[in-house]
Amino acid sequence: MISFTNIRFIASKELLEFIRDWRTIMAIILIPLFLFPVLAFALPGLVASEMAELDEYVLEVEIQGTEFPDEWLGEFNNSSLNLSYAPLPNVDFLSNSSNTSSKFQSGELDAILRVRQSNDTYEFAILFDSTSELSMEARSRIIGVLSEWEDNEVKNRIENAGLDAESTLNPLVYNGTISDSNTASQGEQSGLALSLIVPLVLTIWTASIAMQPSIDMTAGERERGTMEALLGLPLSRIEIMLGKWGAVSTIAGIGVFFQIVGLLFAINVLAQTDVFGIPDLSIFSIILLLVAVLLLSLIIVAFELALAMGAKSAKEAGTILAPMLIFITIPALLTSVINLEGIESFWFAVPILNLLLAMRELLVNDIDILHAIIWITSSIFYASLSILYASRQFKREDLVITQS
Amino acid sequence: MNPPLLKLSSVSKSFKDVSVLNDINLQINSGEIIGLVGGNGAGKTTLLRLMTGVYRPTSGSVLFEDNKEIHLVRENVGIVPESTGLYGKLTAWENIRYHSRIFGISDDVAWDRTMKFATNLGIAESLNRHTKGFSRGMKQKTALLRAIVHHPKILILDEPTAGLDITSARNVRKMVRDLGDKGGTVVYSTHQLSEAQRICNRIIMIHNGRIVADGSPEDLLTEYKMQDLEELYVNLTQEEAVLHFEDKEKESRISRIWRQFMTKTKRIVKEEEE
Repeated sequence: MISFTNIRFIASKELLEFIRDWRTIMAIILIPLFLFPVLAFALPGLVASEMAELDEYVLEVEIQGTEFPDEWLGEFNNSSLNLSYAPLPNVDFLSNSSNTSSKFQSGELDAILRVRQSNDTYEFAILFDSTSELSMEARSRIIGVLSEWEDNEVKNRIENAGLDAESTLNPLVYNGTISDSNTASQGEQSGLALSLIVPLVLTIWTASIAMQPSIDMTAGERERGTMEALLGLPLSRIEIMLGKWGAVSTIAGIGVFFQIVGLLFAINVLAQTDVFGIPDLSIFSIILLLVAVLLLSLIIVAFELALAMGAKSAKEAGTILAPMLIFITIPALLTSVINLEGIESFWFAVPILNLLLAMRELLVNDIDILHAIIWITSSIFYASLSILYASRQFKREDLVITQS
Repeated sequence: MNPPLLKLSSVSKSFKDVSVLNDINLQINSGEIIGLVGGNGAGKTTLLRLMTGVYRPTSGSVLFEDNKEIHLVRENVGIVPESTGLYGKLTAWENIRYHSRIFGISDDVAWDRTMKFATNLGIAESLNRHTKGFSRGMKQKTALLRAIVHHPKILILDEPTAGLDITSARNVRKMVRDLGDKGGTVVYSTHQLSEAQRICNRIIMIHNGRIVADGSPEDLLTEYKMQDLEELYVNLTQEEAVLHFEDKEKESRISRIWRQFMTKTKRIVKEEEE
């Protein structure tokens, strides 16, 4: 007979011990909560600062050929390009870059602009080194000048032909805004956007955050010699396993919750977008979503506990569990590319993937009864298998042997 | 004669193909202080784990007083493993409370019992300190308190004085004697015969997984016509100790294959040189 009081005592003790480590608080609350907001703050700032740094460089550009419009020169100078001139080489195509790499490698040049006139058009090519940021920046500045000149030239030629440039270039104009035309509510749009992100975050974070406590409460406990005293108590192995599972699941659950809060905060507040928000979900969808999250956590945590329990030391457990983290990202990534429209029912019986697909469906408030029956039934079966596997690991007698 | 408390009948224990204990027959009576003496790898710890129900016998039975298998009545047993098994991030009291709750004892009762013994052991002031910073002696005392808080009928101690300083070891021995004086039953494993002789009224010598001697110190000396127990032990344990399960277990399969390969290679090289 399983005692839930004993399971609660074990789980409470594990949690008490776990939260007494400040690194744990960092791992399960602060990092998940601030990861996305910090990225949202830091990444744009870093990109802007790097771009500003590149803007300050005066770049070396060689113009090969003499047949080009005079106004280019002024624009090139305004773009901080230091120009030098050379005759156009005898090549079939201007883009032929043979015999030019040494000038890039020595830093003598950042880009070469080859240009010649052919009737009413100009032919050009920009030679550059894609591995050099300065060369890429020089290319970008040249393209900027040429594009602006081309836009003006097109307008001039249209007007010289006696046509209206605006109506000729844009004969079809959208009236109004695209967002006004969208019949999906903001909540439905939020659901769709979150359905692509939440399953991925949930899987990876559940697996990664559960890893350390799983190791600590199994192989770690063996190593510290506390397992023998625990196994000597009037507890069944399944109670011990379920107590530890409860503790690890709670830790993983808290971590995932803060991760999602941080993600929504970063998107909503910092990115200033209306796409993400509270999705429109029915009570039934929310209940099924919670069931899916619970089953996912149950399977992942039970499997990690079992693997960690089978290891002879905490170090070995880490070696076993790390590849599992990589392995679990495969269904998570697959989930975001599988098309939900007309999806075959068998997908909802594939372990892990079925729960992630179910989450996607539910986040867009699409409740398919057949799919729900398949993923719930198959996941309960997989969860039972994982718990059975984990409890078998906990029944091994060599668990009490410490590796001194 | 006191009533029997624990009965081991034809108990053998093997791990995979390694036999650790063979045909152990033993009856522990209420009120006995038993010293379990043996060398490294003799099978002492395995025998203690069978007595506590942590291990199940490969064959035979370990039955508690009313013929119940020991693993079903673990609430009657108190254990102090060699490692003490304390959680370093919990305080001494939290460690004790955790076990007492599992035994179904209320926190108030557990606290009163703990304080009663803690004062005698001199650790009452340290109950709210994390055990991570405890000395080996403090840890042993805390583990002892934790093992007796539920008033077990039998207390099993695995080398409780190993690594202790003289004063701490003396305190532990005194506590075991006090428990014995109050009618408690204690099984006490140790390497040290002199220590066992001082506090135990029965000594069991174990060697290579078999009991080689069992009786009171006086009876053993009379039976084997020896002057002291050390001489008796040396006489009874002439054979070379077998490799213990735990020692074998520590060697992984790859290490074993590598070791065997290297041994074979060295032999071939030596033969070629000769």
